[in-house]
Amino acid sequence: MKLFIQKLTTFLLLASIAGLTGCNKSVGPSSNADGNTASAAKPLTIAFLPKSKGNAYFVSCAKGAQRAADELGDKLIIDGPTDPDPARQNEIVDNWITLGVDVIAASCENKEGISTALRKAEAKGIKVITYDADALPDARSFFVNQATSQGIGYALMDEAARLCDTNGEFAVITGSLTAGNQVAWRNYVEERRAAAYPNMKCDAVEACDDLKDKAQSETTALLSTYPNLKLILSTTSLGVPGAAEAIKQMGKTGVVKNIGLGLPNENKRYVHEGVTQSVILWKTEDLGYLTVYAADALAKGALKPGDKTFKAGALGEFEVQGDNIMLGKPFTFNKDNIDQFDF
Amino acid sequence: MDKHGFKKILLRHETILFAVLVAEWIFFEVIGRNFGTYDNTCDILRHSCEIGLLALAMTPIILTGGIDLSVASLLGLCAILFGKFWRDAGMPIPLAVACTIGVGALAGGLNATLISWLRLPPLIVTLGTFSLFRGLAEAITRGVDTFTNFPDSFLFLGQDRWLGIPAQAPFFLAAAIFFWLLVHRTTFGRSFRAIGFSPEGARYAGIPVARRVAMVYVLAGIVSAIAAIIYTARLGQAKADAGTGYELFAITAVVLGGTSIFGGVGSIPGTLLGVAAIAVLHSGIAHALLPGEMAGMLTGVLLILALAGSTLPKMISSLRARKAALKIPPQAA
Repeated sequence: MKLFIQKLTTFLLLASIAGLTGCNKSVGPSSNADGNTASAAKPLTIAFLPKSKGNAYFVSCAKGAQRAADELGDKLIIDGPTDPDPARQNEIVDNWITLGVDVIAASCENKEGISTALRKAEAKGIKVITYDADALPDARSFFVNQATSQGIGYALMDEAARLCDTNGEFAVITGSLTAGNQVAWRNYVEERRAAAYPNMKCDAVEACDDLKDKAQSETTALLSTYPNLKLILSTTSLGVPGAAEAIKQMGKTGVVKNIGLGLPNENKRYVHEGVTQSVILWKTEDLGYLTVYAADALAKGALKPGDKTFKAGALGEFEVQGDNIMLGKPFTFNKDNIDQFDF
Repeated sequence: MDKHGFKKILLRHETILFAVLVAEWIFFEVIGRNFGTYDNTCDILRHSCEIGLLALAMTPIILTGGIDLSVASLLGLCAILFGKFWRDAGMPIPLAVACTIGVGALAGGLNATLISWLRLPPLIVTLGTFSLFRGLAEAITRGVDTFTNFPDSFLFLGQDRWLGIPAQAPFFLAAAIFFWLLVHRTTFGRSFRAIGFSPEGARYAGIPVARRVAMVYVLAGIVSAIAAIIYTARLGQAKADAGTGYELFAITAVVLGGTSIFGGVGSIPGTLLGVAAIAVLHSGIAHALLPGEMAGMLTGVLLILALAGSTLPKMISSLRARKAALKIPPQAA
């Protein structure tokens, strides 16, 4: 037993000595790195925060972000919550502050909550940019805006009109009658219809409560109530596959067209079967790519408040509206391109 | 101190856990960037304050052989009720804090009543209130209402420093001292252990078992409410999902700290070391730029290592003692 204790003590002593010398070593390079901040060649460390790490949408964003970081020669740290605790994003940001990253690019789960941590980062001289979901405006320099409500509403209506040859009846499936984003999108769909497609008529708006089953039953009811319907337009992602299932089961594939806002993976099957014609969203990889380019430019001083345009590598010029960098028009996924996307 | 006493201290679970904690610290200091800085030490303390409070309150509960799964759900409920009291009822912050703590005590009282007077198993009761409290929080806010824009004087508690230390640290320290005194320096503490070893035996020994058991659950309710207020101040917002999953972190920290899940054995310093070991791990992984998912895995490894580390030497020494005991008769003969 005595021997064991002696061995243990020796081991602990050795380990702590090794640790201490290790500490000294690790202090060396980091203080050198601090001294080098003046040189422009120093690669930036960009921290990229998704709302949740495993979500396919954000995995795809991160892929674009990594591509941009590789092109720019920057170091990219990607970390995000894997559990539903709303404080986790704050903790990750706090850790990045002490770690000493140069830029933080965040998609914010809790606007008010994370803003406190982002303000702290800005106070420590770290640049902050948001993408996908904004923080409070005083907690970041720029927001990479993937789509405006107007852009989404207009894109949906334009696609509907194209598929119906600009005349005929259609119906709208919405997530909820009251949610702010749903109301905004519906209003822009109507604004676009009234202004550009007077020969098209919206017969009804039904809420599916963001449930696929309800979207299916509402669509079935709509199809029997309005036999002249040429198209179903969903402003919510679960509406599109729900409506598709209804159209398919009623044997109206191709007769009644189906479009809406949604993720490619949820709709691939129906798109290939010809039930759903197009799904509208934005290219998530481009969103990540643009975000990292903007983060890099912000840290290097190339992107400043008041800029009207911003050039992001291979993707070219983007419009800047105030402190929003616009990703541009939504993207339409259809039979020809949907297989190239995985989210 | 004689050699035997020294050996006893060296082989105590807390000593081994402390060595593990030091090793962890050195490891992350070597492979991580800016890990051992004062700023980061403060952050670790800030981030682990709520889980630490829950773990402190969980220790006497587990000592009595019970468990409280509802602490984190109660944290969520208290957080949004605190927001309600302040924003919707227009109460000043101190009054809202007092009311929230009152709610915490009542909710703890509900657990206590069901467990000590209706004699229902703690696991079942608190599994029920785990859903009930979180469900209430979600129902009250309909899952979307978020309380925010708290005054700076309140946010100071969670985000700023006071005399160079995180402002919530004194509260945590006070709670740690309170629970240390309760568990280690009062007859209450001894009665918790007695109940944990044998509730019936404790009752025959004249310990008011029902009252003592009720007390630890009410205390847990009060501490959850305090944790809710500190959490709200740290995050600057109160939402129904506040503290999701914290109950498991707290239980893990307590068990890591050497408290037996069957009751009767355990200590407050052990729990504090357990909380520290988990918090350092989480922060260290981020500073070493390792993927965050590793935290869960490594917590498991840590738990197994620490428990094995404190059990193996005891097993070896008891085996040797038995061997030695077997050798004695021939010599004597």
